[in-house]
Amino acid sequence: MKISRLIALSVVLTCLSFAAYAQGKPAPKDALLYFVWPQNGTTIKGGFWCRFGLRNMGVTHAGDNFKNSGHHHLLVDVNEPLDPNEPIPQDKSHLHFGAGQTEARIELPPGNHTLQLVLGDADHYPFNPPVVSQKITVRIK
Amino acid sequence: METERAMGELRDFKSGKSGKPPRETSPRRLAAIIAGDIAGYSRLMEIDEEGTHGRVKRIERSLIEPSIAEHHGRLVKTTGDGFIAIFDSPVEAVRCGIVIQQQMVGRNASLPRQHWIEYRIGINLGDVIIEAGDVYGDGVNIASRLEGIADPGQVYISGGIYEQIKHKLVCGYESLGDRKVKNITDPVSVYRVLPDPAAFRRTRKRREHILILLLSFVLLVIASGALWYVFWQPHGKLGRQASAPVSLEMPKVPSSPPPTAKQAAPLPQLSTPAAPATPQAAPQVQPVPSVAPAAKQAAPPTQAASPATPATQPTSVMREPEMKILRGGSFTMGSNDDVTEKPAHQVTIKPFAISQYPISVREWNECAAAKACAFVAIGKDDAPITNISWSDAKQFVAWLAGATRKAYRLPSEAEWEYAARAGTQTRYWWGDQFQSGMANCKNCTDIAAAEQPIKVGSFKPNPFGLYDMGGGVDQWVEDCWHKNYLGAPADGAAWGEGECPSHVIRSGSWKNDAQYVRPSNRDGYDTHVRYPTHGFRVALSP
Repeated sequence: MKISRLIALSVVLTCLSFAAYAQGKPAPKDALLYFVWPQNGTTIKGGFWCRFGLRNMGVTHAGDNFKNSGHHHLLVDVNEPLDPNEPIPQDKSHLHFGAGQTEARIELPPGNHTLQLVLGDADHYPFNPPVVSQKITVRIK
Repeated sequence: METERAMGELRDFKSGKSGKPPRETSPRRLAAIIAGDIAGYSRLMEIDEEGTHGRVKRIERSLIEPSIAEHHGRLVKTTGDGFIAIFDSPVEAVRCGIVIQQQMVGRNASLPRQHWIEYRIGINLGDVIIEAGDVYGDGVNIASRLEGIADPGQVYISGGIYEQIKHKLVCGYESLGDRKVKNITDPVSVYRVLPDPAAFRRTRKRREHILILLLSFVLLVIASGALWYVFWQPHGKLGRQASAPVSLEMPKVPSSPPPTAKQAAPLPQLSTPAAPATPQAAPQVQPVPSVAPAAKQAAPPTQAASPATPATQPTSVMREPEMKILRGGSFTMGSNDDVTEKPAHQVTIKPFAISQYPISVREWNECAAAKACAFVAIGKDDAPITNISWSDAKQFVAWLAGATRKAYRLPSEAEWEYAARAGTQTRYWWGDQFQSGMANCKNCTDIAAAEQPIKVGSFKPNPFGLYDMGGGVDQWVEDCWHKNYLGAPADGAAWGEGECPSHVIRSGSWKNDAQYVRPSNRDGYDTHVRYPTHGFRVALSP
């Protein structure tokens, strides 16, 4: 009985170590995430190609655990602060680019919209410190 | 067009900012030269000439050119399968090379191995002669020789570049020694660039990781074996029987009960399937197809363990998901609530069966145990399987279909919505207003986030008797993602077959709000990417 309890404990510990493994990976201090296009304040007619820029880190696809690399997420009109201990949400305002895309065709209704990039690690967690772009505003005509 | 641009850039670079009077006359200068070309280009062209050409052009336009520009370099020329660019700074040149290689990894990820476009990149520092649309000199030749010896997907640099960047760029560098290259007198020292300094240790670490994984797996197996021995053995059959009603499975006699049970219960009611007003109408009765599975099950008796032997071989019993048979019919798919759901259109569904619950961790891990599913899930047995990609889900249905010899598959998007609406046309299956406690979504229940994902079937079933059709876990369907329904088929078949970069997910998850619970809600996600809220359910053609 004692042995089985020990084994059960070791199983639990193994599982725990797996869970701890998922938290945000460290990012280099000089990592820079930015919009190649559009720039802050741009007025755009209709749909547009949004291009993501990243310096001092690499883009890879989700699930790949290469150091200093991650994949893009585009946050559209998101006002809630980013939770560093949760995977980046997946919904209509958190667009994921887990196949390593560095640009995307974006279609938004007319009006002002905010855009922000967040780099996610293999498990979609933000890095530590978070690698995020400036939050820009674009106007759709 | 390409050369024109390059010439323009060169002109302005000669006359412009980089040094005025002397360079105007002398086109010589020191530069970091990148030479890149596609490994196995002719092989790729052989497989798919037009497609490869299109993809290469797209890569040049959307990746190579912007990356060079971003790193303050200039594209000198592109050849059919390669390019040459020059940079003022070796650091920027190497960064550019790394960026291109890493992004190519991402772009190739969604393609089968033989269609991968992989660049070999060589970078050298040298004195070059710049002319309109081209560069000349030893420096260029060495760069293209380095590129020639580089492995696909790698960046090789010369000693000259290495000396310049070794303390500036946080990378790993592996010396490959001095190499004699064609038509160059002196040997060139060659370094392989590893995207990060830990890459050396990583290969070793990865081996350690695999070892640890294997060890813990073995440990788990031993532990579960021991636990099973300690707890189950004395009780024997009792334990297994007790677990049956909870798990809603039928491990004992796999061949006959599911169809008969379903037939027996709802038959007396025999109401029409188009009666949305009566939730208890259970219009899923479909006597005709329900006979077919029974007949099919009788045919391959060798497949599932025979009812006489479960006591001796409990693990070999094939557990199948609980299926509900749905009579086909017409319904209005889509809504005006979101651009992705327009236009609402009429779809006719053929009879089919769909699993009553999302596939659970237990069901998934049988596939993993059979080595047919690559992903091994950790979690409670009766929780829905999560963190799987569309391709993972396809592995599961392929395995299930093979093991049971039944046509298990993913539901089409139209089938999913038909099943989720369960004869209703309201925003939610219970009406137009959201009611708390009806589905597992964000701020819809009192369940603590830590307990998620909770066990399948914790909420009320819809009028078809299906659980978790909306909320709980996102569910993959067979269809490729299309941003709206323009051009969608009306026969209920999956829209778009095979390779597409993203597929449709339905249902919304516990992390999405009530909007996402609507049966018409839809979204797309990358085909090969796992996400912690994504699961699926299976369908079966009669």
